[in-house]
Amino acid sequence: MQSPGTYISAVGHAGLIGWLILGWGFSADPLDFEVTEVSVVTGAEYAALVASTTPQPSVDAPALPVAPVTEPAPPTPDVVEPPVIANQPAPAQPPAQETPPPEQPSPPEPPADLAEEAPSLTAPEQTVAPELNSSERPRPRPAPRIAPQPVAPPAPDTSIDDIVRDAVVPDAVAPAEVLEEPSEATAPQEAATEVTTDAQVTSGAVTSSARPRTRPNRPAPQTTTASSDNVAPEPDNTAQDTAVADALAEALAAASSAPQGPPLTGSETEGFRLAVNRCWNVDLGSEASRVQVTVEFSLNRDGTVNGGVRQVAANGGSNTAIEAAFQAARRAILRCGARGYQLPADKYDQWKQVEITFDPSGMQFR
Amino acid sequence: MIRLMILLVALVWGAAALAQDGPLRLTITDGNIEPLPFAVPQFQAENADATKVAADLTRLVAQDLTGSGLFREIPTSSYISQHSSFTQSVAYADWRAINAQALITGAATVSGNQLTVKFRLYDVFSGTEMGGGLQFSGTVDGWRRMAHKVADAAYSRITGEGGYFDSRVVFVSESGPKNNRQKRLAIMDYDGANLQFLTNSAALVLAPRFSPTGDRVLYTSFESGFPRINVLDVATVGQRQLTTAQGEMAFSPRFSRDGRQVIYSLSNGGNTDIYRTDLATGQNARLTQAPSIETAPSLSPDGTQIVFESDRSGTQQLYIMSTDGGNPRRISFGDGRYGTPVWSPRGDLVAFTKQNAGRFHIGVMRTDGTEERLLTSSFLDEGPTWSPNGRVLMFMRETQGAAGTSSLYSVDISGRNLRPVATTGGASDPSWGPLQP
Repeated sequence: MQSPGTYISAVGHAGLIGWLILGWGFSADPLDFEVTEVSVVTGAEYAALVASTTPQPSVDAPALPVAPVTEPAPPTPDVVEPPVIANQPAPAQPPAQETPPPEQPSPPEPPADLAEEAPSLTAPEQTVAPELNSSERPRPRPAPRIAPQPVAPPAPDTSIDDIVRDAVVPDAVAPAEVLEEPSEATAPQEAATEVTTDAQVTSGAVTSSARPRTRPNRPAPQTTTASSDNVAPEPDNTAQDTAVADALAEALAAASSAPQGPPLTGSETEGFRLAVNRCWNVDLGSEASRVQVTVEFSLNRDGTVNGGVRQVAANGGSNTAIEAAFQAARRAILRCGARGYQLPADKYDQWKQVEITFDPSGMQFR
Repeated sequence: MIRLMILLVALVWGAAALAQDGPLRLTITDGNIEPLPFAVPQFQAENADATKVAADLTRLVAQDLTGSGLFREIPTSSYISQHSSFTQSVAYADWRAINAQALITGAATVSGNQLTVKFRLYDVFSGTEMGGGLQFSGTVDGWRRMAHKVADAAYSRITGEGGYFDSRVVFVSESGPKNNRQKRLAIMDYDGANLQFLTNSAALVLAPRFSPTGDRVLYTSFESGFPRINVLDVATVGQRQLTTAQGEMAFSPRFSRDGRQVIYSLSNGGNTDIYRTDLATGQNARLTQAPSIETAPSLSPDGTQIVFESDRSGTQQLYIMSTDGGNPRRISFGDGRYGTPVWSPRGDLVAFTKQNAGRFHIGVMRTDGTEERLLTSSFLDEGPTWSPNGRVLMFMRETQGAAGTSSLYSVDISGRNLRPVATTGGASDPSWGPLQP
């Protein structure tokens, strides 16, 4: 037994549903559209229109365009199509394709008086069609961390910012004078100019190692018959100690005599070599021009020659020729060193003694 | 403990080895080819009569050295120090400042007809004198020879090689047009001075050659209508003819190194071979037997080999054989024809005339035929002769055309310093004599 309220509710709902279905839901009232009239242009107007938009107007105007009927674009409330687009012919091809390819520039006629060699032509660039069987390797996507300038990693407690800024710490001694507020240090985010994959990073692990050497065989112990009368004497180390002490003293002496300090750089050595070379004169027709001579000399700290120039070795000629070659070398050293060679004073130990080989064998009758 | 000490020694040695060991070592391979600058202040005239000759001596010494191409005189206007006295000490700094590497000082004294010349040579940059002082004496007329002697001494002390300035050249002096050219033997200093004629122009003369001591000259004379070899004494101008059979043609002679023998070409019955004749005994020896033409023999300095030209291969080429004619071997293999070979006084090179592609060249090659270098090129260069020190070649150059003339040129064996030799009129067939005593 249903209550009257239930019936009333059922009737009311049914009525509402029926009204929605049959009444308001299928209302044929048109929506509020903004309607724009579409006009039809003539062929002449279209030709004039194309002429104004394409680089090469065709003389023959295309056929009279017909307004698309088969697939009319559904009118969209918010889109207003301009009339030109609406009247564009459907199969219109891009004008670039209709444009004939640029003609090859005709070669300039050679001047009449230059018959032997035709002027070269600058051929227009030709587009090479990509081969079908090959495909380009896809370009790697740009990594987001690549920066135009490499930036070193910031300090661990530095916050990331575009500006490098030192941390400001309040001065404990004179706090009253501090005008700047304390702030954290900032630095740009760490960046590199290249993307380095893990595979490219050397791990530092040992990839190969030499086989360890085998131990030398232990010498077989000599069997001795022990007897109370024949006790092995204590080894006498006096001689060995003396020898070792002598060797040590000799080594120390050698080490102390070796030049100290950093070696000359390549440019310093080359500059010195060129300075001597500038004054070395070779008489190519002489026998001395076939002699290789080595000389040595000492330099003062100001670069001037200390004492004489001594001949160390020579080969390739008679004694007379060797003497002439030595004299030429000696003159070169003395002449160009008259004002002192330009050598770094802090490396004096490296150049206070010099040995130069003069070898003219490569300049025979050049 | 011992092991510890050994280890310590090893460590010290290792450290020492790591440091630069010994002096700074350099190698220089590319030198400069420039004349050596020298200064020669005017020689001091130690008396009034010596004023002019002192100036002349100074100029000639400078000319000799600069003419070699190996030296460059610093102009006197650049001098800071005027070395006015032969005995004064040298202000090396002043000469260093103008980049003079050598300094030549001298003094001259004239006493009657006697001239005395003294000179010293200094190495400016080492601040030392090169060798001791030298003094030459002679007649005033011989001042040029004394200047050459000074220049030779300076040249020799600086280069380490002998000089060549105090030497003479015998050659064929030419005059008249090409179709009627008069030729006679002449002798002159190496620089063209002191010209003297040894023969008249009555007979055609060719190819004079100095003896090793410079006292005699061999030459080819057409006095009899056939080429014959004459020996001429330079001092007396007396001459005699080498004995040859009737119908034989002898030419292209040269003295042996001892001056006692003559090697030459003898043409008999259309075949030309090389012969040797002893001047004292007249004994002949035939050195080549080939049916081809062998001529222009030149002895090596040690007298053991002969270089000559032969067409036995079909073209004119250079060959070397032993003095007795054995073991001939070809040394020239380049394009063209090779002739007039001359062995260098040093013994290391052979000079020659080469004709190729319509041009003539004077060239040198090593005695094994390697390192051939052509030093000159012209319409006609021919007949090289060596300076006494084996450093310079003199040769004949003829210009083209009917009015062409022949003259003498010299060139350094490096191919540099090509220069004409001053002669009066035309000149050809030079032969450079030895240094005069």
